[in-house]
Amino acid sequence: MVDNITPDETLDCRGLSCPMPLLKTKKAIGKMKSGQIIEVLGTDPGTKNDLPGFAKKSGHEYLGDKDDQGFTRFFLKVR
Amino acid sequence: MNSERENLVIIEILKRGYRKIFDENWPLWLGGLLISIMSIITFAWARPWGVAGGLRNWGDWFFSLLSIYQTKPPSPLISTNSILTLGLLWGALGSALLSKQFAIRMAPPLELLKGVVGGILMGIGAAMAGGCNVGGFYSAISALSFSGLAMMVGLIAGAYVGLRYLYWELEHLPSRSVGATPSEKKEGGFKWLNAEPYIGTLLLIAAIICAWIYSQHAYTRVGVLLLCGLAFGIIIQRTRFCFVRGFRDPFMTGQGEATRAVAISVVVSMLGFAALKWTGLRPESISVVQASWFGGLVGGLLFGIGMVVAGGCGSGCVWRAGEGQIKLMLAVICFSLSTSLFKTLIRTSKGFADLMGHRIFLPDYLTYKWTVIVILFIMTIYYLAATWNEETDRFTVEI
Repeated sequence: MVDNITPDETLDCRGLSCPMPLLKTKKAIGKMKSGQIIEVLGTDPGTKNDLPGFAKKSGHEYLGDKDDQGFTRFFLKVR
Repeated sequence: MNSERENLVIIEILKRGYRKIFDENWPLWLGGLLISIMSIITFAWARPWGVAGGLRNWGDWFFSLLSIYQTKPPSPLISTNSILTLGLLWGALGSALLSKQFAIRMAPPLELLKGVVGGILMGIGAAMAGGCNVGGFYSAISALSFSGLAMMVGLIAGAYVGLRYLYWELEHLPSRSVGATPSEKKEGGFKWLNAEPYIGTLLLIAAIICAWIYSQHAYTRVGVLLLCGLAFGIIIQRTRFCFVRGFRDPFMTGQGEATRAVAISVVVSMLGFAALKWTGLRPESISVVQASWFGGLVGGLLFGIGMVVAGGCGSGCVWRAGEGQIKLMLAVICFSLSTSLFKTLIRTSKGFADLMGHRIFLPDYLTYKWTVIVILFIMTIYYLAATWNEETDRFTVEI
């Protein structure tokens, strides 16, 4: 499902741990337009819980995640 | 049904169980509930759960090896403090391996520095408050000590200050990525990740064997405490139960899930402790530390800042270190060294010790009945405030 997504922005959070990936995503989303898609690259296992929870709370759409080599790609659609 | 097919069914059931436990996410509230049950079992068996005491024991041991301390601390192999924390680390590592979530994760230099500074602040805070977020807050409130409530106020304030720093840092000192995790990057050759569940299983079996060896040498109490620590580690790693989130999230994203889980957990644990103390099964003075109120409040404030900056509290640093995160390993090391030094300072200076405050066992002032009601009331307010904030974002700080 997330294979064909072309993100508008990519945020590299690899090596950062909780809560930095979430905070950086929150900040980046603040500068984006409604309907745009952000891709977040991360290595912290916690991000798999944090980002969907944040999306649910803040009304953004969590599109899913995909494991890559040594990191995970997360996709969010801005509210 | 022939026996071959029956065996296949058993294997399928075991596989399903494995996926349920080590593949799927557990809800946070379940983590809170399981931790409170383990907290009561641990207290009923030997003593309340703690993390900072174990880290301090390791720090004491390190400084005595360097001959900086004259007196030798209890051996980390039989100190109940040390064993509980070792069990937590062991359980988290085993659980991370079983879930294929273990990897040595390097962090950028600024993050490593935050691990060091956060660890030092937590070490000092824990020495002042008579424990970390576990011993000084969770177990202390459970044990009906006023210092736990003082630390709770400090932790909330500290989490707010720490978050303010993180926001400032985002604007002024952007952390750079370090790229992918190297241990999972290799193509071909030995598939390390696929071997992780087997290594994790062996580690957990090894822990059970160690507990058995303890019991063979008349240290059954210590051996079972190792298993209690192990259970805390597995539960916390699987639920990603995070006290930091409980204090920080309402300010950061407005989410109240972790706060509610902490509140439920404290209430259940407190009811268990109250029953054990009220009936005289356990001494009333246990976990009533000399930190009411200055030590609890100011220690909680420093600890709160440290845990948000480091990205893990007492238990959080240890279990994330068990997942292979270098930043949190540094935080654990700095925590253990600074808490050992600062505790020694408090112990050797009467003025300092007096400054921390008194031992206040709430039932001495309020009776057991009213103490339980007051703590229930405070935790209900905390639970409701987090839920209210989730809807209104009244306390949420925007970037």
